[in-house]
Amino acid sequence: MNSELASIETFLKTVPPLDRLDGERIAALARKISVRYFRAGQTILEAGSHNEHLFIIRSGAVELRLAGEDLTARMEVGGLFAYPSLLRGGEVRNTTVALEDTLAYLLPAAEFHRLRDGSREVRDFFAENESERLRSAVRDLSQKRSIILEETSIAGLQRHRPPVSCQPDDRIADAAKTMSEHSVSTLAVCENERICGILTDKDLRNRVVAARIDLDTPVSEVMTPDPVLLPETASLSEAMARMTAGGFRHVPVVSAEGDLRSILSATDILAFLGDSTIDTGTKVAKARNREALIAAAQSIPEGFARMESSGFHASHVMRFTSALGEAVHRRAAELAEIEFGPPPCPYALVVFGSLARGEQLVGSDQDNGLILSDDIDEAGEQYFEAFGEWLSDLLHECGFVYCKGGIMAKNAAQRLTLSGWRDRFSQWISEPDEDRILRATIFFDMRVVSGNIELARQLHEDVRQKAKSYSLFLSYLARDAQRTRIPLGIFRNLVLEKSSDGQKVFDAKKQAILPITDIARALSLAEGSPAVGTLERLEWLAETGHMARSDADSLRDAMLFVNELRIAHHAEQLRSGKGPDNAIAPGELSPLERDYLKDSFSVIRDGLESVKRNMAGGIV
Amino acid sequence: MALDFELDGLARGAHVLQAGWVAVSYGGIDLFSARSTDVRSLRQLDDQAVIVHGIGEQRARGGAALLDTVDLFLREFAGKIIVAHGASVERDAIARISKAALGLAIPVRTVCTLALERKLKPNLPGGEAYRLAATRERYNLPAHDQHDALADAIAAAELLLAQLSRMSADTRLGAIESH
Repeated sequence: MNSELASIETFLKTVPPLDRLDGERIAALARKISVRYFRAGQTILEAGSHNEHLFIIRSGAVELRLAGEDLTARMEVGGLFAYPSLLRGGEVRNTTVALEDTLAYLLPAAEFHRLRDGSREVRDFFAENESERLRSAVRDLSQKRSIILEETSIAGLQRHRPPVSCQPDDRIADAAKTMSEHSVSTLAVCENERICGILTDKDLRNRVVAARIDLDTPVSEVMTPDPVLLPETASLSEAMARMTAGGFRHVPVVSAEGDLRSILSATDILAFLGDSTIDTGTKVAKARNREALIAAAQSIPEGFARMESSGFHASHVMRFTSALGEAVHRRAAELAEIEFGPPPCPYALVVFGSLARGEQLVGSDQDNGLILSDDIDEAGEQYFEAFGEWLSDLLHECGFVYCKGGIMAKNAAQRLTLSGWRDRFSQWISEPDEDRILRATIFFDMRVVSGNIELARQLHEDVRQKAKSYSLFLSYLARDAQRTRIPLGIFRNLVLEKSSDGQKVFDAKKQAILPITDIARALSLAEGSPAVGTLERLEWLAETGHMARSDADSLRDAMLFVNELRIAHHAEQLRSGKGPDNAIAPGELSPLERDYLKDSFSVIRDGLESVKRNMAGGIV
Repeated sequence: MALDFELDGLARGAHVLQAGWVAVSYGGIDLFSARSTDVRSLRQLDDQAVIVHGIGEQRARGGAALLDTVDLFLREFAGKIIVAHGASVERDAIARISKAALGLAIPVRTVCTLALERKLKPNLPGGEAYRLAATRERYNLPAHDQHDALADAIAAAELLLAQLSRMSADTRLGAIESH
């Protein structure tokens, strides 16, 4: 007799987190299932009742309403629900209604608890609240990313083929000449096609020049003999581990037969890993003229896409991209000084918004301005008018396109003296109104990138001191943060909003990142924090006890998770030749990503709620 | 008890090659009760039918003896009502094999989801619309593995739950039983 439930097992294997279980466990689970059918509109579970089952949707869709009111979630085929009640001993808080005719598989509570006890991954999946689930999502992402290092073979990233080599009895001078001619820093020393040593720039410096060795000495006497070899099938992580352990930066790579294939350098690995950022950074800093700077800046998106594909964390991608953006701005200002001659008075180039926060991805427009010394004269103003225009135009060419809101140095309103800026901020702070605040928040994230640091520091300090003492300003800020409607989640091809759902795409920047930024900014300004970056602000708030550590960490996780999605989305667009945007279509996301996104939304809503409670009180 | 037989063709005297069944009640379907068994057949199988159910002669020869199968039925199905889509096939087959094995045709009570569907939705055009897969689709039930006896039995059981959800809660068994 046979009791195979093949199709049911096949289905269970597609449902996270059951997809992590082995076939035998799945077969055992299938036999514990009770199948139920619910007609559209029928209440499946009622808030306040008692529940003894984990529900798995086999067909149809359901809607969960917290205490029967606000729409909290919708779930479709493969969705699991009612487990939070099992974690609470059976107390049901969500009323669950069948949206469509629904066939559900029910697993007894005891099986659910056995599942949780069986594996950490399953336990993480069934974490009681959004914050915990988000934490494990971010952790899973980092693990997934380190897999790339395991799976990439070094065969793909070697440059010099065949490698430049010499014989052991060649003279040092000749070997150095060969290296110079081929412009390599490492030479393979080979005897009968087999590698017997390597000679590096460093060897020439330490063992030859510094030791005053005769240049006619054979190479064999100063080379590193019998170097550690790597098979060409080795993975990237093996290569890195070998280099790290041995403290060397070059490893000869050999075929299965032992023939020398190439010399792998640490630079090759870094370049593969997207540390072309360092390369690009050098090119930017050394750009001799505007054409060179434009050329260097144009490789930023490519490096960005490479960082994404080689598995950099969101926080690193943001930091590298922002650092490059800052470098481009700095070099542009230096080139402007070369173009127009030395500045007639001290000035500072400041950037605002995401670049100031160190959170820039690709495709951002420019937000900048000039702080000019108070003793500027008319000739000085003319100088900076030309300077500002030239700078903005150059940045535009470099990919930091003109700011739609006009926040750029080519506009007179963005070229103020220190007192002028002080007055402007002072007005925002002491006489706030809705419209002013709407357009001014970006200015409260500022960073100097070039020129006189002291001018910018004075302004920033002044603003910091003033902002925290004006509660009306703070309450406007808090209220401004509430403008964004945070979606409830993503369901099939819909982004769910509180009352109406029907939006096709969701704006990952506007509907998730900016609200987090707003929360961190509002609370930081209220407490007089000197931090500018959102993650630094959250850290500062937690550190100084102005925000619960768990809340700060949850907001950080939400930000990192959504930025992972944005970065993947941008990189995909860049690879297919499109300009990056933040409009993510629900179809791009996996069911699990949708779940995590829903958790992120929930964390953000809580954060906004607390800002509203604590700060928005000043406005009637 | 939802039951499905895979038969060797559509002829009146077709052999039962596989049986699958699962218990179903108003409360749901309990998969712990799901069983399927191959039934031994020594005869030359109908080629057309083999294509449909995928049970070849070798497998058919390895199945349980008919007498054992009947014995198993008597224990599992005693006092139960049989649910099937087109239940007359199962009723006839049970009568036939019990007669062959015991010399006595066992009478069974049945609920036919096909007949029930004709009652619930009497005006659908053509016979195709009343087939198991098509009927299930109308109730938003997922596609199932056809021509496996157990999968078909579960499919019929799920359909019965769906049909019951359309009927008033105090519907009595007598009202849906087919005769």
